[in-house]
Amino acid sequence: MHENRSTPARVWLLAALALAAAVVVIIGPALFDRFTLNVLTRSMIYAMLAVTVDILWGYTGILTFGQAAFFGTGAYASAMVLSHLGASPALMVLALALAIIVPVLLGAFVGWLSFGHGSTPLYATVISLVVPIVVTQLVFSGGVWTGSSSGLVGYSGLPLGLPGYFRLTGICLIVTTVVALVFTRSDAGKLLVAIRDNEARCAYLGLNPQRLKIVLTTILAGVAGIAGFLYANASGVVAPENTGFVFGTEIVIWTALGGRGTIIGPVIGAIGIDYLSAQLSGDLPFLWNLVVGALFVVMIILLPNGLAQLARMVLPRRNEEQASPSGSPTLAAEPAGNGSEAGNRVLAVSGLGKSFGSLQVLQGIDLDVHPGELVSLVGPNGAGKTTLLRCLSDGTEATTGTVTIAGQDISGMTPDEIVALGVGRKFQVASVFDSLTVADCLRMARASRNAPSLLRRSATLGLPAAATDILRSTGLDRMLLGRPVSLLSHGQKQSLELAMVVALEPKLILLDEPTAGLTKVERTTIGATLQKLTGELGFAAILVEHDLDFVRDISTRIVVLHQGKLVLDGSVDQVVNSEVVRTIYSGGAHA
Amino acid sequence: MTLLLDVVTTAAILFIVAAGLLAIFGVLKIINFAHGAWLTIGAYCAVATAGLGLNPWLALPIAFAVGAILGGITELVIVRPLYRRPLDAILATWGLGIVIGQLITLWFGRDVQFTPNLLSGTVDVFGVGYSLYRLFAVAAALVIGLAFTFLLEGTRLGLSAQAVIMNEMLARALGIDTARVRLATFMVGTGLAALAGVLLTPLTSVDPNMGVAWLIGSFMLVMVAGSSFSTLAIACLVFGGAQVLVSTFVSPIFGGITVAVLCALVLRISPKGFARA
Repeated sequence: MHENRSTPARVWLLAALALAAAVVVIIGPALFDRFTLNVLTRSMIYAMLAVTVDILWGYTGILTFGQAAFFGTGAYASAMVLSHLGASPALMVLALALAIIVPVLLGAFVGWLSFGHGSTPLYATVISLVVPIVVTQLVFSGGVWTGSSSGLVGYSGLPLGLPGYFRLTGICLIVTTVVALVFTRSDAGKLLVAIRDNEARCAYLGLNPQRLKIVLTTILAGVAGIAGFLYANASGVVAPENTGFVFGTEIVIWTALGGRGTIIGPVIGAIGIDYLSAQLSGDLPFLWNLVVGALFVVMIILLPNGLAQLARMVLPRRNEEQASPSGSPTLAAEPAGNGSEAGNRVLAVSGLGKSFGSLQVLQGIDLDVHPGELVSLVGPNGAGKTTLLRCLSDGTEATTGTVTIAGQDISGMTPDEIVALGVGRKFQVASVFDSLTVADCLRMARASRNAPSLLRRSATLGLPAAATDILRSTGLDRMLLGRPVSLLSHGQKQSLELAMVVALEPKLILLDEPTAGLTKVERTTIGATLQKLTGELGFAAILVEHDLDFVRDISTRIVVLHQGKLVLDGSVDQVVNSEVVRTIYSGGAHA
Repeated sequence: MTLLLDVVTTAAILFIVAAGLLAIFGVLKIINFAHGAWLTIGAYCAVATAGLGLNPWLALPIAFAVGAILGGITELVIVRPLYRRPLDAILATWGLGIVIGQLITLWFGRDVQFTPNLLSGTVDVFGVGYSLYRLFAVAAALVIGLAFTFLLEGTRLGLSAQAVIMNEMLARALGIDTARVRLATFMVGTGLAALAGVLLTPLTSVDPNMGVAWLIGSFMLVMVAGSSFSTLAIACLVFGGAQVLVSTFVSPIFGGITVAVLCALVLRISPKGFARA
């Protein structure tokens, strides 16, 4: 099969696999003995948890031990309803509802706690350790309500019998897996990888990664809660260990051994290891754990992507990695939405200042920028150029003064909110999503405008003409699929980032040394692109640049920054011929 | 009065337990999740020492040596490839912890072991009888803290370690063998952890999983403390104090999670913890 992922072939394959799995699940009770059925039912519940951990950790990069807490909360919520109130159909519905609602609420709280503006990935992991510990202690202190250390047992659950539970769990696992596979392979699923690769870039594409992570945590807490409900019913016992942090680490181990970032791998990992543990731990209890532990260590060091990676190396590669022309998404033109009228100021800065403690980096900056202008910001190293750009694109940066973009004061606004006002920022070091393809990177840039599909991979890539032009002139349009962006050259990455920023259709583009490290040809291409964007299409741009010849060729205005102050603001001729600039650049008197 | 002594001695014990983890995290920015296993190794060194009929105090140097040697091997084999993947390092060391726990179980069995007391009896402190050993723990904490300050400020290794903390690239460019600094730091950290394991034996039962209970508390304290021993001491006093108060006045069960919960909240408010203060 040489088709790409959007073709029906993949869908059929998935459907066929799901159907095959369903058949196994349905006839399973006829094939296995009671012990095996019991163990496999439990293993399949654990596999559902492994899928949630894989989405969080394998795809989004959040290492979490907290799924155990949500699972345990769901299990305890069900078991408490069933033992203290009873198991009538209405109460069973209540048990299921609580098993979802309680973990979801807890998940939303944990998400809010873990993902504040500027919190580190490690902090989320820290929280995910604390939550199971707290839940476990709450269970211990719950007295008769939670059964304390001996747990709850002897309540009646769903009247299904062993085969029924096996089938129910199997179906739930298949549904979870299929939904997870479809979602992670959809356009929206690429968002998760984008967040893992480069969270700052996501924010500067107008997305809100923190909020996405909170939503993800909340939803997956609910899924873990459903698994907990199944467990409480199928096993007929809940114990404090089900909520604990050690159980949380076990789920991560299954996920890692199966292969993170593959969904199927963790499912197989969880079922395989839990099943084998049950079979072997009777004979060699400590040795088995020893083997699993040792295997885990070796795997993390040598094969970070688990057994799935091994399988991929052994099996012949499927060809989706190679871009065949027919598989490439077609570039579709989006109507230009750049409706800023000439004359109105895009940017108005007055009295801007920034200090780090007593060190004054910027002071008293006044600057206006109109549509169609290409303003170059020059000045020696340490003049505060990059700091100024940062103050323009993050409302929490400036210490004093006001920055108004398209008529709105940005103080206190986060980068993604400012992007929504029409600001695009290109970083000095190309900031792209290393493990995505060129097409997916560009799709991320459009994600804040066209919400990506949760189900499908689009066959088209809608881009504004200006972005398409950049791709054509740099040859990137022939590399849309095929290889991850990390393999592009330095210059190609710079061009890609510029195309991504332009695809945002900003009114104002901030560029931090876009030509650093580029060849003469690449530099000319970028210069021409910038002139076209501003001169013909009415974008405004602020360009930080050291190369004065380049600046002179393309700018409409030049602003000189020196020691944190704006010393000159004028036309190209005025600035280039001014005495001040010569003094500053020749290292003369400190003006 | 007893309460005050409880606060100080609890803080001292937390400090002893967390010191080894901090040494490693401070310099290497790696979280050694096998820390609990090293505590266990240290405790079993005490068991083995007693089994050989040696003076129980000999367990301290033995545990430090055993911990450091095993730590050296671990650094070379497991931690070294993972400096660029700190989250994976957490997982790999956790896996190592499982392996060590199982090996100890295979060797010594899973039963609780008993060790001879290092110091027994009580002394009168301002008219109150108080466990001599807990007071000794305060002295031990002070010795460890001071020894570490000396190691960091007064020796060549400490100076190199500080250089690595501040700017590893520059340190390497200046000709410091950063790989050796890392190895030495890891060995000191694991040695300290094993030492702490011996010091814990009179206070807690010795079994193959004893370390896990201490791991999270010390991990949280180290997160809050950052990379300095003085902030760790402050953190231990504040959170250890809170733990004693909650255990005494609310419930011992909630006392057990006080440190973790408070540390998590502090980190939410100020992501660098106490490191800025």
